[in-house]
Amino acid sequence: MGLLSPWFLAGTAAVTLPIYLHLLRRHRADPRPFSSLMFFERRTQSSIKHRRLRYLFLLSLRLALLLLVALAFANPFINRPAVSAAGDKLMLVAIDNSFSMRAGSRLADARREALSVLASRRPSERAQIIALGSQVRVLTDPTQDPGALRAALESIEPGDSRASFGELAHALRSLAESAHTPIELHLFSDMQKSGMPSSFTEIVLPADVSLVLHAVARNAVPNWAVESVDAPGQVWEQNKAVVHAVVAGYHTPVATRTVSLVVDGKLIATRSVEVPAGGRAAVEFPSLDVPYGFSRCEVRIDSADSLPADDVSLFTVERSDPERVLFVHESSDHRSPLYFQAALGAAAEKAFNLEAVTVDHAGGIQPSGYAFVVLSDVPSLPASFEDQLLKYIRSGGNVLVAAGTSAARERHVTVFGENIVDSRYYSRDGVRFLMVGDVDPSHPSIGKAESWSGVRFYFAVHVNADNSRIVARLTDRTPLLIEKKVGEGRVLLLGSGLDNLTNDFPIHPVFIPFVEQTARYLSGTERRSGARVVDSLLELRSGKQQGVGVEVIDPEGRRALSLDEAASAETFQLRRAGFYELHLPNGRRDVVGVNADRRESDLDVMPDDVLSLWGRNTNTGPEVPSAAGQTREQARPYGLWWYAMLLVLAAAVAESLLAGQYLGRLREEP
Amino acid sequence: MQRFLDPSVLAGISGLDLVAKTVVDGFMAGLHRSPTFGFSQEFAEYRAYAPGDDLRHIDWNVFARTERCYLKRYRGETNTLLTVLLDASNSMNYTSHKVSKMDYARFTAASLFYLTTQTQRDAAGLIVFDDELRNYIRPSTRQGQLYRLLSGLEHAEPRARTDFSKPLHHFQQFLRRRGVVVIISDFYVPPRELIRTVEPLRFHGNEVVLFHVLDPKEIRPELSEPTTLIDLETSETLEVSPEYTRNEYGKKIDAQIEALRDRAISAGMDYYLLVTDQPLDGALRQYLAIRQARR
Repeated sequence: MGLLSPWFLAGTAAVTLPIYLHLLRRHRADPRPFSSLMFFERRTQSSIKHRRLRYLFLLSLRLALLLLVALAFANPFINRPAVSAAGDKLMLVAIDNSFSMRAGSRLADARREALSVLASRRPSERAQIIALGSQVRVLTDPTQDPGALRAALESIEPGDSRASFGELAHALRSLAESAHTPIELHLFSDMQKSGMPSSFTEIVLPADVSLVLHAVARNAVPNWAVESVDAPGQVWEQNKAVVHAVVAGYHTPVATRTVSLVVDGKLIATRSVEVPAGGRAAVEFPSLDVPYGFSRCEVRIDSADSLPADDVSLFTVERSDPERVLFVHESSDHRSPLYFQAALGAAAEKAFNLEAVTVDHAGGIQPSGYAFVVLSDVPSLPASFEDQLLKYIRSGGNVLVAAGTSAARERHVTVFGENIVDSRYYSRDGVRFLMVGDVDPSHPSIGKAESWSGVRFYFAVHVNADNSRIVARLTDRTPLLIEKKVGEGRVLLLGSGLDNLTNDFPIHPVFIPFVEQTARYLSGTERRSGARVVDSLLELRSGKQQGVGVEVIDPEGRRALSLDEAASAETFQLRRAGFYELHLPNGRRDVVGVNADRRESDLDVMPDDVLSLWGRNTNTGPEVPSAAGQTREQARPYGLWWYAMLLVLAAAVAESLLAGQYLGRLREEP
Repeated sequence: MQRFLDPSVLAGISGLDLVAKTVVDGFMAGLHRSPTFGFSQEFAEYRAYAPGDDLRHIDWNVFARTERCYLKRYRGETNTLLTVLLDASNSMNYTSHKVSKMDYARFTAASLFYLTTQTQRDAAGLIVFDDELRNYIRPSTRQGQLYRLLSGLEHAEPRARTDFSKPLHHFQQFLRRRGVVVIISDFYVPPRELIRTVEPLRFHGNEVVLFHVLDPKEIRPELSEPTTLIDLETSETLEVSPEYTRNEYGKKIDAQIEALRDRAISAGMDYYLLVTDQPLDGALRQYLAIRQARR
């Protein structure tokens, strides 16, 4: 038992107040008038005898009230064992099955040690098994059944996710709130340093959770890995792609590694590279030649270390014909198609063929044959073309609309469908021009070009953006780049022109990445190929249309979605490394390579002091191998202040009632 | 003024009244009858003539019818004079309930005044005193006397201390006729001294009645703890204990009452204790009943 804030006990000095009120002040009450003192005699009794305490019970209540308040603020506590011997506790066994647990025999060691701990528990003690990756996966309910627990433990397979101890702590906080029993958490992990969140507070466990750490690795292990591969997701016509790979060594000596490029199972090229101690080395394969369609590629090294799973990096490359892009502009506008085509050609090389047509000739065009459509400052469209375009968007097509001075003549923006609130000519104002204020870097159109600083806008159309996502704003808060979903498709609106008159955007360097990223985003090629990281999400459908089936084939060649999920799922989480094949509602087939997060390749472990801090000064430490089945108990302060506050409340109520009675009695007295 | 004329009080008094007291000294008309025969207008009886009787009292009409001489005797009627001496010292202000001693004394005096002036057509006067003579309303039967008396009662607010010697000295100077003198006070003076001061009134042939007004808490004070008391007249303070109050004080106040009663009766006066929580009419009725029994 102790006090967390003992200096508040100074408040007990306040007990002198009721003693004064009851003992001293009371005796100085006003004299009572009497007719005559003729028959009284002066018999002054001793002061001690006279000064008897009045209302002893009331006084004791007041003293108790003050003492309890002081005690509550002093925050008393008792040391209570975190793990009660009463048996009413939950043994929670957490097995780390992240990618790094593939190194050596870590997962097998963890599983074996967990089985030992489970075997040593009392038969009446409940236990639960969870698996720790990027998310916590509950494998059993709390149960006393050793068979179910053992089966759950043995079913844990090595995963490709990245361990997150922050996620574990978060899950434990939720579990502790609902369990209402003490939890003894046994964590079997390699205690990988990269699993720590940025802030230690994120892994702080609730008070009624005691942590017992079982480290299956205690030192950093040398490991080489293919850290990253930079390869185009698509190539067009006869172009050859260049592949850049980075080989990294973690806690490794200087070594020469052989790097191989494999396409569809065939070794294409081999390079030798010297990887410095604990450093990185880059490798380039200049001419990746792949056939039409998707090619499953990988860069591989011969590391011969304890974690061979990260010696290969997967990616896909698709060879296809260039995509067609329809560019619709006013007949008087010759500048915007010129700038857009130049930017598209410079950035995407031959990925896109731009077909520029004037509004007058757009009547008979079917938009469905194009990867996406650009409407450059078009006030209105031929009715037939507009109908076709809207159908095209609703069925999944995408359109970029640039609203310049011509489009501003209308009350609403064609195809985009929203009203024009205002048209602003900044060149007529004192400021002359405006810059871009806020941008949303998470939008694919922004991506590499996060900063649009230096771009001057002399004119902008302020469009109602209530139902849209605002990607960029001008400094006067006018929405500049807005995305709106229409059916299955998207419409991206630039509130200014592409003609280098209403702004200088087309001649600014940031215009090229903007056009490239927007083209890839709107054409959908951004997601079709390349490489992804485990646990990332793939978008399966963009709108709310349901019923059209989606098929996802996992690396083992099995369907990853149930029938319900295939009909309704909008996203899919890539849980394992390997090649995933997607059959999308629009009939397209995509293949992506999925790799484990390379932060898992760094097998460095958490420092001892961090582990000690996490274990809350228990005897548990990574350097002490945990004995199988050993239950470690730690004393934990259990606050009593709110019990004291309850007593304060009770004393206050009793004091009020009693004092009210006494006061009433005093009023009745003359 | 109506508060002085409580009908229930008057109803209680009208049956027995102050008749007995006025008989003592009376030239009385109405209900007041003298115990001695006199020569007034009310016929009493006939008596056979005896030598030496005044011939003026012979009823000649009877002699004409009977040829015998009879003397015609009359019952004497007196007009009594009531003077109320009201103690208006500060101690009369004490109260432990709604009616202070002063109020109670006012009610009593007002009842007597009403009875005397309205029913008996007697003269009534008032002297208000503390340690000085504060107000004197000469006894009279003039019209409006009752209202003057009641007004005098109303303006009699307690103050100062009690001292019987000065006011009684003045009162003796005003006293021309014999009558009934009613002294209403709490009599916080030694009985011997009081009787010695009041006795001269009795020597002048007055009927003296002492109305001793006390609050019930004066007779039996209730103290639950040591308390400081302050004298209403002297402002003297004294710390007293409950034990003393319960034991010694009770004995002393009882002894005071007994001494007053004994000495008053010994001196030919009447003494009555009026406790302010008792009904006013009951107290007066009790007084009259005792008075009647004495006759």
